[in-house]
Amino acid sequence: MATIAYEPRRPNISSANVQLPAVRDYEQVDEDIIATLRPTKAWFLMLMTAVACLALGVSAFLYQLHQGLGVAGYNPPVMWGVYIITFVFWVGIGHAGTLISAILYLFRAGFRTTIYRCAEAMTVFAVMTAGLFPIIHLGRPWKFFWLIPYPNWRLLWPQFKSPLVWDVFAISTYLTISTTFLFVGLIPDIAVLRDRETNPVRKRILAFLSFGWRNTEREWRHFARAYLFLAAVSTPLVLSVHSVVSFDFAMAITPGWHTTIFPPYFVAGAIFSGIGMVFTIIIPIRKWFRLQHYVTINHLDAAAKLCLTTSMIVGCAYLIEFFIAWYGGVQVEQDYFWNRVFGQWWWAAWIMLTCNMILPLSLFSQKLRRNPAWLWILSIFINIGMWFERFVIVVPSLSHEFEPWQWTTYSPTWVDYSILLGSFGWFFMWFLLFVRQLPVVAISETKEIVPPRVRHAHVHTPEDAEDFEPQTGRAH
Amino acid sequence: MRGVLGHFKELDSAVDAITELKTARLGDVTVFTPTPRHEFEHALQPPRSPVRKYMLFGGLAGCVFGFWIPIWASNYWPLVVGGKAIGSWIPYTIFGFEVFVLIGALSTVAGLFIHAGIPRLTMMVGYDPRFSRGDYGIWVECPPDRFASAEALLRKHGAVEVRGER
Repeated sequence: MATIAYEPRRPNISSANVQLPAVRDYEQVDEDIIATLRPTKAWFLMLMTAVACLALGVSAFLYQLHQGLGVAGYNPPVMWGVYIITFVFWVGIGHAGTLISAILYLFRAGFRTTIYRCAEAMTVFAVMTAGLFPIIHLGRPWKFFWLIPYPNWRLLWPQFKSPLVWDVFAISTYLTISTTFLFVGLIPDIAVLRDRETNPVRKRILAFLSFGWRNTEREWRHFARAYLFLAAVSTPLVLSVHSVVSFDFAMAITPGWHTTIFPPYFVAGAIFSGIGMVFTIIIPIRKWFRLQHYVTINHLDAAAKLCLTTSMIVGCAYLIEFFIAWYGGVQVEQDYFWNRVFGQWWWAAWIMLTCNMILPLSLFSQKLRRNPAWLWILSIFINIGMWFERFVIVVPSLSHEFEPWQWTTYSPTWVDYSILLGSFGWFFMWFLLFVRQLPVVAISETKEIVPPRVRHAHVHTPEDAEDFEPQTGRAH
Repeated sequence: MRGVLGHFKELDSAVDAITELKTARLGDVTVFTPTPRHEFEHALQPPRSPVRKYMLFGGLAGCVFGFWIPIWASNYWPLVVGGKAIGSWIPYTIFGFEVFVLIGALSTVAGLFIHAGIPRLTMMVGYDPRFSRGDYGIWVECPPDRFASAEALLRKHGAVEVRGER
């Protein structure tokens, strides 16, 4: 006897339902998601704002190029500042995209389906932004290619034991793989756009970009296998990239940096900050594009739980750092941590602790987890908190090393701030262009969670498991 | 290419038609579906995708190259520091791993392209844009003398449109 499983009135707290009850069929998926590609005045306004911020950043960089690095706020021995902080910040932002698209794919977490495209695009643009900062940080940025191993007439090779060279390999691999992963996932969706497009020029471009995808079962079979393996290799890549970034610090003997907790601490922080940025982006998108029935409250709830978990891991890492400084008994380390929290940099440390440890605890409340307005406000705090986390890692260590002559201060200049603002302009410019050209919600994967049209409606019952016929995949 | 194309609105109708087509052995069957469905895989019982082998061999080649480059460069221009090993495998594991991922992933995409037959310049005979929207298509490649049987079979299972391509 068939039984019908009714939707519970209240969502199940432990396993939020990630189905899309308001989506009827595949045609509706196409219509709703393609509708997001129409430009609006608000979109143009935001794009202009992003381009203006970028122009400011580019101007400041050109000024720095002309005047030299002295116009930035470097104050020896604090020779790493806003640029390195912002580099680590943007690399971190990129991590949530791969976590959501690859790791959660392997874990079959249903809530990723409608948010992963947005997160993946965010990853690519965030890593594109991050990659600029080590170059901006160079005194002679036009020599950046010296870090790349290539045959040259002087027979010189980079120092492969340097963490900076590890970084080059890690970041360039990450950018390549993230872009590949994003583009491979987009191919079937571009084919959908191609088949709906009426403008002949655009149709031709989309036909080229879709590689002649025809939706055959054979294509899907190889696609699914390739996607699985891309997800499988992207997963350790996510963990390795921010571990390698953490080695930039952990390989030095500087107080506060020389610690084995840095790789997991950086990875957890990166994923936490990335989820924060996902909320910052996806919540306005679902409202402006009327995608509330795709990115449902249940999806946000599930992502908020992930945010809470990573926040607690990060918070645990902060506390362990303090504990090890005390337990290790090294005077310099203890002084450094005291200076970080109660001394010179107390304000930065407390911004970090408040935004990353204390405020996210609000997500224990189901009511707040299911409140998009609160999630968006919290995400802004997380973004700020995670930028300050990197500030707290970089600046206090360099300004309070072993000997008193090394104890100094650091204050960024307008050039630093302008380039920081410019990086947001660069990131959002690409993102805004992306959302108007390509689907921000994955069309084909969303169709997978929408029940297909069938002639003989069938309701699953526990007995079906016994009646299942493997040859056809259907019950008797 | 010669054959018959059946256009279906419902998933189960298309699956039933495929099952019977496989039994009747009228010709090679190609299925168009807007999204991957395991029902089709069960009905068609295709061979396993070989894409995984590209990942394995590409990844291994990348790993070897990733280790070789720094070891070769270190020995080519030795920097002896405190009696430490010139070609130190521990830091070079990072290169081995990163290039493993890079070449392995790119090889996987190459495998996808090779076996899925993309990029293609022209769409195959019978492709219909409705197949990316929400409908299903079954293309039976067969000589003209089997057209009538294939058409009857497809219609029996609920094809809303059947047309022959010669």
